[in-house]
Amino acid sequence: MSKYVSGVVGFIEDDHKLLAAAKKTYAAGYREFDTISPFPIHGMDAAMGLGRSAIPWVTFFAGLTGCSFGLWFTWWTSAVNYPVNVGGKPFMSLPAFIPILFELTILFGALSSVGAMFILNGLPKVKPPVIDPDLTCSKFALFIPETETGYSPEKAESHLKSIGATDIRRVAEF
Amino acid sequence: MAQDINVPKYKMSPATKTVVWVCALVGLLTFLFGIYNNPERVWYSYLTSFFYFTSLSLCGLFFVAINHITNAGWSVNLRRVPEAFTAFLPYVLVGAIVLIIGADFIYPWLNPEIVAVDTLIQKKVSYLNEGFFIFRVIAFILLWLLFAKKIVGNSLKQDETGDVNLTHKNLALSVGFIVVFALSYSLFSVDTLMSVDPHWFSTIFGVYAFAGLFQSGLAMMILFILALKAGYLKSFINDDHIHDMGKFLFGFTIFYAYIAFSQYLLIWYANLPEETIFYIHRSHGGWEWVSLSLLFGKFIIPFLALAPAWAKKKAGHLKVVCVWVLIMQYVDFYWLVYPNLHTNTNGMFPETPIFNFYEIGIFLGFLGLFLFAVNKFLEKNSLIPIKDPRLHESMHHHL
Repeated sequence: MSKYVSGVVGFIEDDHKLLAAAKKTYAAGYREFDTISPFPIHGMDAAMGLGRSAIPWVTFFAGLTGCSFGLWFTWWTSAVNYPVNVGGKPFMSLPAFIPILFELTILFGALSSVGAMFILNGLPKVKPPVIDPDLTCSKFALFIPETETGYSPEKAESHLKSIGATDIRRVAEF
Repeated sequence: MAQDINVPKYKMSPATKTVVWVCALVGLLTFLFGIYNNPERVWYSYLTSFFYFTSLSLCGLFFVAINHITNAGWSVNLRRVPEAFTAFLPYVLVGAIVLIIGADFIYPWLNPEIVAVDTLIQKKVSYLNEGFFIFRVIAFILLWLLFAKKIVGNSLKQDETGDVNLTHKNLALSVGFIVVFALSYSLFSVDTLMSVDPHWFSTIFGVYAFAGLFQSGLAMMILFILALKAGYLKSFINDDHIHDMGKFLFGFTIFYAYIAFSQYLLIWYANLPEETIFYIHRSHGGWEWVSLSLLFGKFIIPFLALAPAWAKKKAGHLKVVCVWVLIMQYVDFYWLVYPNLHTNTNGMFPETPIFNFYEIGIFLGFLGLFLFAVNKFLEKNSLIPIKDPRLHESMHHHL
């Protein structure tokens, strides 16, 4: 499994302040930091400077693959390997195959999207170190990892203090 | 809160006024010219455009109704646009009366000579006869008018009183309308479009017409909303409203393809002569290209053009797609109606597709009236439902 990354975490009072803190942290040049909140916060992606996810591309190309596979497979089974005359229609009857093509497009697209989501999120994590159990119900935090360019714990701590963190701790996450 | 919101008053621009009157005049002249020179053709053209704009107008009421039913807050700021579409419904009533006058030129089952020698039509006479046809068409439109008056009327009344109960009343009315709409619009499409070829039948026809109604209605709404966003409602409509409307259009583009293919697949599989004749007519003599243009123009092109997230937000791009969808919607109704021109029920293959000023002129005429009705409504009323209890949700709409 992936190794854990240590860093500095600062607790912020509420979601609005966390959003402002994320904007300031991004403006201060931090790029690898993460925000932790019990619920999704509107506008957080933009505040953290996160780009768009790569998942739509995975979905699109997986869907195309599913569609092509369906076309090949229906052709191979119905017209090549085991041709059966159904109602006098041609062996290769595209209208009859469209539902199968459609279903396989959806199947490949959906499963690949979920798979890509797991990989991109680094899930599943087995017993990650817990910063604070309350982060899943009532607390908000901003985490600066040691992988950050020009990272030093002191610098990160003073930055977190400057953006109004109430409680600052050195921890390991991920 | 409602008091300190300053909603700009809408005024039709001189350019819009000119467009409206020129369109209406061109339509009237084409109609009068056609009546004397080529009546059958002009009535076909009339039916196509009449159905097109009836659907657009109804789509406004349908959109309002589903937003009331789902208690949608996000769409409150946009709601006056679909509400304005319903202002065209009184014109639909007049249009239907005109259509009834010209019905003899369109519907072969109104011609006693044809009915006398046609066993299949004779079997359908209890439904397809002049009296019942007129009764149904007028009754459906009056029902729609009644619901529009109630639902939109409550919304306008709320602008004055701010009474929250009006929102609750509209929920019940909207549920009623959806039921009435599903039945009446299905039968309306069967009566006015499908019966042009009285031998043919398709049980999914009403849904097919509805799929087109919603796709094209959304496209027309987006055009109006983008125009308002660029000017009057700059601070009331944000990018996320546009994004949501884009997603709606994208979703119902797929819905159209799903329904259109369902109809095709079942007819192709069952292979019954009375049903397949519809597609046989539309796959010969030039019509195969019109059929293919629907597959590409109404599904594949808008699907790919709307697939990326940016495409649903960017005004310039969205406008082009919406105009494209609206053009393709005309092609769709044209494809349903025109292969029957001059070849009614005699089993012959249709003439090659014809398209010229008869079609464009009548379409422009209806477009002029539609724009006039919608603009007048927007001029007369506040541009957003200022005292709607869910207004604040829409003000801060964020995805």
